[in-house]
Amino acid sequence: MLTFRAALLCAWATAALAQAPPPLVRILTAELDRNFRVLKEKGDPAPYYIAYSVTDVDAVSASAALGALKSSGVERVRVLDVTIRVGAPKLDNYHRLRGESAQFASMVALPVEDSEAAIRRRVWLETDRVYRRASERLIKVRSAQNVKAAEDDDSGDFSEEKPATHYSMPAPLTITAEQAAARVRLLSAGFAQRSGVVSSYVSFTAQRQIKYLVATDGTRLQHGRRFARIVIGARAKALDGTDIVLGDAFDAEDQSGLPKDAAIQASIGRIAGEVAAILRAPVAEPYVGPALLSGRAAAVLFHEIFGHRVEGHRQKDEADGQTFAKSVGSAVLPDFLSVVFDPTRRNAADAVLNGWYEYDDEGVAARPVTVVDKGILRTFLMSRSPLREFPNSNGHGRRAPGFTPVARQSNLIVESTRQQPEAKLRQDLIAEIRRQGKPYGLYLRDVTGGFTTTAREGLQAFKVMPVVVYRVFADGRPDELIRGADVVGTPLASFSKIVATSNRFEVFNGYCGAESGNVPVAAVAPGMLISELEVQMKPRSQDRPPLLPPPGSAQ
Amino acid sequence: MKRRTLLLLAPATLARLRAQAQPDVILRAMADELDRSRSLRILSAEQPYYIEYAVFDGESCVVSATLGAIVRSGRMRYRLPRVQVRVGDHKLDQTNYVGTDFIPGPRYDVDDFPVDDSYDVLRHHLWLATDAAYRSAVEAFSRKRAALKNLSTSAQLSDFGPAEPLQLVLEPRPRRYDEAVWKSRAKRLSAVFLEFPQIANSTVDVDTSWSTHYFASSEGTRVRVPEGVTSITIRASGFCGDGMPVRNSIGIHALEPARLPADVELERQAREVAQSLAALTQAPIGESYVGPVLFEGVAAAQLFAEVLGKRLALPRRPVSNPGRPLPFAPGEFDGRTGSRVLPEWMDVIDDPGQTEWKGRPLLGHYRVDLEGVAPEKLTLVERGVLKSLLRTRQPVQGTSGSNGRARLPGMFGHKAAGFGNLFVHASQSVSGEVLRKKLIETCAQRGKPYGLIVRKMDFPSSASLEEIRRLVAGAAGSNSGRVSLPLLVYRVFADGREELVRGLKFRSLDTRSLKDITAASDESFAFDFLDHNAPFAVMGGASFVAETTVVAPSVLVDDVELEPLPADYARPPIVPAPQLK
Repeated sequence: MLTFRAALLCAWATAALAQAPPPLVRILTAELDRNFRVLKEKGDPAPYYIAYSVTDVDAVSASAALGALKSSGVERVRVLDVTIRVGAPKLDNYHRLRGESAQFASMVALPVEDSEAAIRRRVWLETDRVYRRASERLIKVRSAQNVKAAEDDDSGDFSEEKPATHYSMPAPLTITAEQAAARVRLLSAGFAQRSGVVSSYVSFTAQRQIKYLVATDGTRLQHGRRFARIVIGARAKALDGTDIVLGDAFDAEDQSGLPKDAAIQASIGRIAGEVAAILRAPVAEPYVGPALLSGRAAAVLFHEIFGHRVEGHRQKDEADGQTFAKSVGSAVLPDFLSVVFDPTRRNAADAVLNGWYEYDDEGVAARPVTVVDKGILRTFLMSRSPLREFPNSNGHGRRAPGFTPVARQSNLIVESTRQQPEAKLRQDLIAEIRRQGKPYGLYLRDVTGGFTTTAREGLQAFKVMPVVVYRVFADGRPDELIRGADVVGTPLASFSKIVATSNRFEVFNGYCGAESGNVPVAAVAPGMLISELEVQMKPRSQDRPPLLPPPGSAQ
Repeated sequence: MKRRTLLLLAPATLARLRAQAQPDVILRAMADELDRSRSLRILSAEQPYYIEYAVFDGESCVVSATLGAIVRSGRMRYRLPRVQVRVGDHKLDQTNYVGTDFIPGPRYDVDDFPVDDSYDVLRHHLWLATDAAYRSAVEAFSRKRAALKNLSTSAQLSDFGPAEPLQLVLEPRPRRYDEAVWKSRAKRLSAVFLEFPQIANSTVDVDTSWSTHYFASSEGTRVRVPEGVTSITIRASGFCGDGMPVRNSIGIHALEPARLPADVELERQAREVAQSLAALTQAPIGESYVGPVLFEGVAAAQLFAEVLGKRLALPRRPVSNPGRPLPFAPGEFDGRTGSRVLPEWMDVIDDPGQTEWKGRPLLGHYRVDLEGVAPEKLTLVERGVLKSLLRTRQPVQGTSGSNGRARLPGMFGHKAAGFGNLFVHASQSVSGEVLRKKLIETCAQRGKPYGLIVRKMDFPSSASLEEIRRLVAGAAGSNSGRVSLPLLVYRVFADGREELVRGLKFRSLDTRSLKDITAASDESFAFDFLDHNAPFAVMGGASFVAETTVVAPSVLVDDVELEPLPADYARPPIVPAPQLK
């Protein structure tokens, strides 16, 4: 680990020598120096750290339904987030007060041109606004310290990290709104005349994000990445009111990396077919028993029930459930499983990973972090908010513009030493159904997502919404598709029930929403056999399908 | 050259030929699906008695700049539907009930329609939108009837008034937008503020939209009219030495971009905003004042817009669930029709049909309202007496039928009424100079050291949402507090000397104050603004706006009370502003 860091430091040094700061970095730095100097001299309390972060977004988007364009557009924006820390790293204005996290940033629009006068004006005004709120909150934090019981974790509020200097520039977008529109028009026509599908869409987004960060600790960054994404979706309604929403997403760095039209059309055909099949499928009943999860389903399960619970800042939030706070060095997963968060990896299992970055939103270089090694919890995902045992960041301080960074997931990768071919895993499932004397087991093929609560006041529970679920019978009958099932459970109990994994890894790319906004993430996992999984009935609306048949159809 | 001529002619000819051969695809899809939807029926529940489809088909282009640099630019094509299905009958339907707008119905992802002209796909979307609207109407109607069962109400007004079906199919306006031209205009206008280092923040927003309003109803109304507006909004703010925040703004609008003032005039107006604001940062704080106030130039038109115009429509109390509190304030003119509201030498007329006034285009011109009703010229106040009110198809006490003033989305399944071109006439008037002398004389008679002239109101307001929230909270329970802040207030002394003051607000200024108008000028001033339902018509406060103009003379109002704003502002920034050059 040490060697690895040293190597990176050398690279930074070279970059710093080789490159002059880009124009926006130079403008931001000039205003940063001026504000810091005056506030340190005249401000009471004086700031000890100021950072300006700018997110520059260039986006092209289009969406269509049934072959007709619904919207298309081009957008260019630059937003500024100002971070000011007053007090001292040991105790500052960002200190979490039971359940209340600090929020000072407000997403101010900056000129998209590198015009010094215009940019410095806005930065100056926003610095003033944030400084006022920062100093107000420090007073609140200090008085809370005096009157409240001592907190369990007395580690400080801000870690010291080696400042990075790095200037790179992602390539510009090479697709126009017209091209994007033409593609979604073509693709979305694939949903036309599909029986059962009430509404459908195909959307395309391409984005270039450039992130800038200049801070008084010497951090000078310009880096970023591109995103291209096609999302397809279909909605249907069963006669009993159950809403059926199926979809798929394709991610790549730019449009050239996305699947070809034929592959996406195939996916549209599959989804339309599944919609029709689910409409005819019997309704799920509450059930507890063995289940097989596809790699994608297992990936979402791990993201929800495991990933969110190893985010560092939760371990010292007095309002959080702190499932794993005291578990470092202990077994938290079966010993054949390890979990690595690796924002430096861009591909896995023949797919791109959505959760990669070069530097996190606090200027700390990305690095792989083994959180669980052979079942044993080794560390947490760390932002610059330290924990007693982990005084430094491991490059996972992330946020969407306008939010305060906290520890967030990147690319979650589940590794397994108990891998079996899929066919074998299925045999094991059938054996498990027999052993438990159950009428059937479940196979969860696809999920839309899930959510979890980690707050101490709430239930320490999770819910994952599978959309394609089959009953698997022990007597050789073919699998039976069912609808309206939600997987529920509590995290600690669920992990101990993982029996084995397949050798086929799948990727789930998405955007994870939490207190610091939506950030791109990925989860990679093999298929899993779980000896006991609980399924409950999905809530459903009272509405029936549309009263009149579709226009133009035989009435 | 020849080719160019050909190109110029060809599209128009083609369009005309196409229009004759094949009616508009949107209108056709609307009419066909409307016909089919009449047969909608849930077992044992009401069939629709009225269905309307509105579609706003347009494109909106935005450029925002500060200090000569582009902050944002974007372009969006849209086709927004509004579908209403009414169940029951004109006497009693699902509207006018507190829950009317809050029953979502099934989710079909049809909040926006495809922008491609595909007849089949448009019908598909209309089908689903109608289904959702119908079911939500049936649900609301049953809840409303349940609520009525337990209410002892006096005779209920009808829920929906009559209107003559209208056929008005006009050619859509061609879309012409040169992004580079608008960008450079926004940059140039915003660069004016580079000359004013004492102004902390400034923005110039240019918003151009073209739209075609489609409307079809089961009563046979078929409408296609071009709409759209171009707005240049200039906003600036700064701090005084004591930290008091001050701001100034102007909105310049035109129904057609070509009718905007020339660039030289736009730059002059931007500079005027900057100069007044720079002067405000140096001005003394005003003191409490009771006495005559001269609303001069556009300030009088702003006063009439807010204190009179916005209140010429009466909200109707919806049916509520028994025992539940209903936050509803009746209109100030409720029950005052036939009473005096202005001096007997003043009249007020709303004339949306008028397109120009003294060679100046009028922003409040429109041909058809949101319910497909064409407006007629309407005398609202005659010889000081309130004669009629702005009405939609929602009957209010003592009226029936619409006068074509449904201009904004409203509450409880209805549209909100608003005016178009509001003309305030004074049959007795004096010159502006005499008006000013009158102010000075009245003050001298009452032994006042000075009188006040208001030259600009903060209406529509350029306040931040935070400030608006504070103003609304501070005004809770009082009518007068709901009036905008005066932006440019001058003390005028006996010798005619003027002094700009800052930080004042009105303590009492409402519709009753209008009876205290003692004199008016012989010159009138036109004021354009974008009306919507948010407080103080705050700039950018809503996406749906009604273009309006008020033409009014300067007026001298007696017994107006002003007081300083609470001194609850922060100290000025510790770090001085960065250099501009």
